[in-house]
Amino acid sequence: MRPATPLLVLTIGQGLAGGITVCLAALMWMGRLAPGEARILVLIALGTAAVGGMGSFFHMHNLKAARYVMRRLKTSWLSREALTTALFGGLLAVLAIWTVLDAAGISSAGYRIVLAITASAGFVAMWVTAMLYATIPAVLSWHTPATVLNFMLVGITSGVGLTAGWVSGAPDLWIGLAIWIPLTAVVKGLHWGHFRRAHGQIRAETGTGLPFSPYRLQDTGTSKPPYRTQTQVWPLIHPALLRIVQLWIVFWLFVVPLGGVLLWQTAGWSGGRWFLPVGALLGVIAERWLFFADATHSSRVFFVDEPRRAPQVPLTGGASRTGNPT
Amino acid sequence: MQLTIITDLNKCVGCKSCQVSCKEHNTSGAFGPVPDDTPYQDPDGMWWNRILTMESGEYPNTSVLYLPKACMHCYDAPCVPVCPTGASFKREDNGVVLVDYDSCIGCQLCMWACPYGVREFDEEAGVVKKCTLCIDRIEDTTLPEHERQPACVQSCPTHARTFGDLDDPNSEVARLVAERQGFGLLPELGARPSVHYLPRRPAPSLLDAETLETAMEERY
Ligand code: SF4
Ligand code: SF4
Ligand code: SF4
Repeated sequence: MRPATPLLVLTIGQGLAGGITVCLAALMWMGRLAPGEARILVLIALGTAAVGGMGSFFHMHNLKAARYVMRRLKTSWLSREALTTALFGGLLAVLAIWTVLDAAGISSAGYRIVLAITASAGFVAMWVTAMLYATIPAVLSWHTPATVLNFMLVGITSGVGLTAGWVSGAPDLWIGLAIWIPLTAVVKGLHWGHFRRAHGQIRAETGTGLPFSPYRLQDTGTSKPPYRTQTQVWPLIHPALLRIVQLWIVFWLFVVPLGGVLLWQTAGWSGGRWFLPVGALLGVIAERWLFFADATHSSRVFFVDEPRRAPQVPLTGGASRTGNPT
Repeated sequence: MQLTIITDLNKCVGCKSCQVSCKEHNTSGAFGPVPDDTPYQDPDGMWWNRILTMESGEYPNTSVLYLPKACMHCYDAPCVPVCPTGASFKREDNGVVLVDYDSCIGCQLCMWACPYGVREFDEEAGVVKKCTLCIDRIEDTTLPEHERQPACVQSCPTHARTFGDLDDPNSEVARLVAERQGFGLLPELGARPSVHYLPRRPAPSLLDAETLETAMEERY
């Protein structure tokens, strides 16, 4: 699957904004959030949501038709995503205006309720986006409940990671992180396992429906990498690159934030908390790129070519493999 | 009614006449495969009908299979419900799956949902396009009756392709599918394609020596 930049921006931005808002609501209800911190975090959440919104805008290639985007709320997760993401963005904007204009009101019951509703809207928006990907049977890698869990956990982990940098006096936050980060890592591992199984299902012979296997694809019908008009496929990632990107994700999304939590809480070095936003950002960008770039679509059966084998006809008389005289 | 195309894999010789005539009828012009401004490049761009070539079997028992692949006009087309704007739709009267370019936003979700990879993104128009079963030809009453069929069917030199209504048990396509064990691709994904293929026979029928002799004499 081609990893289109607007989609990366949209899903990362929405996940970060959702994660920050959920974390903010939790801290506020526990009474652990100072008004100054709330102001910074609400503005960061609004900023990431706005960046995500811009991503969705640029992913539409025919803006004249944008007014029809909610026509199929009954069946299309994309219509629902447009609705829930817009609702979340609107509520976040109201919250940001309230936070900036009325610092004293932050501790009021009304503010808490609006924050709770906004966080719920963020949660629902993340869930709807995750369902959009998980409910497409043709994208074999995504068609699993692990996709939904992965989206929710990575979104909240990265959002909480970003929050942790600005929240100095939140003694409960690190306990949550120490549980949340390993949980996210386990789900990510399961998800990658599903990606490998999906990849293994794809062979030229399964595409023909005929029994005379093996099949070797000789011509994919005038299509060739990077498949400009067929964005559901993408040239295979080299196994070495795949390994490097996976290690990068494990290091930045899980190891660095956990290390930061340890330095912060056990060694008492408050600078350790800045490991969290840095790790979350660098990790989540690579995680989302790989989510798209490594996804296997069922139509790949018509693009695969099994590895070339040595010719089975003895070559003699100076004939080359291609049959040309040497 | 479910209009469809049946391809006999025994008759298809991979000439790509159907691929080219589809291109010529539907998607030539500036988005053509070999545009005038850069003519010395590999053919690229949008093709609604692509002919795959596969070699099958193990040496020395190998053969070549050609698989024309375009929209399957599925009964349960998964590309339709995912479309947020309603641009992708299936016609109730004849089962043809179409895209309304005026309401398509080019999000490409339908390309992900289609199991067969037959939808194509038009970078110039910013919308998704695909085989229409030449809806403009088959419904054009000004054309003579025999021309009211898809361009690919009309251009096939071996008559490998047959066009008709699969829901009509008396139609030629329904008869071919029933008698020749016509099959659809990737049935496990549940799209119920209406386009069917007639399976290849495992080996050519054997000729006895006498018939062969007569044939050779007639020819040479
Ligand atoms: S083949 Fe693909 S584009 Fe055509 S109707 Fe089926 S799902 Fe839709
Ligand atoms: S690309 Fe167009 S036809 Fe396809 S799902 Fe999006 S709006 Fe619908
Ligand atoms: S025109 Fe007919 S013979 Fe030629 S590739 Fe198409 S289906 Fe096969």
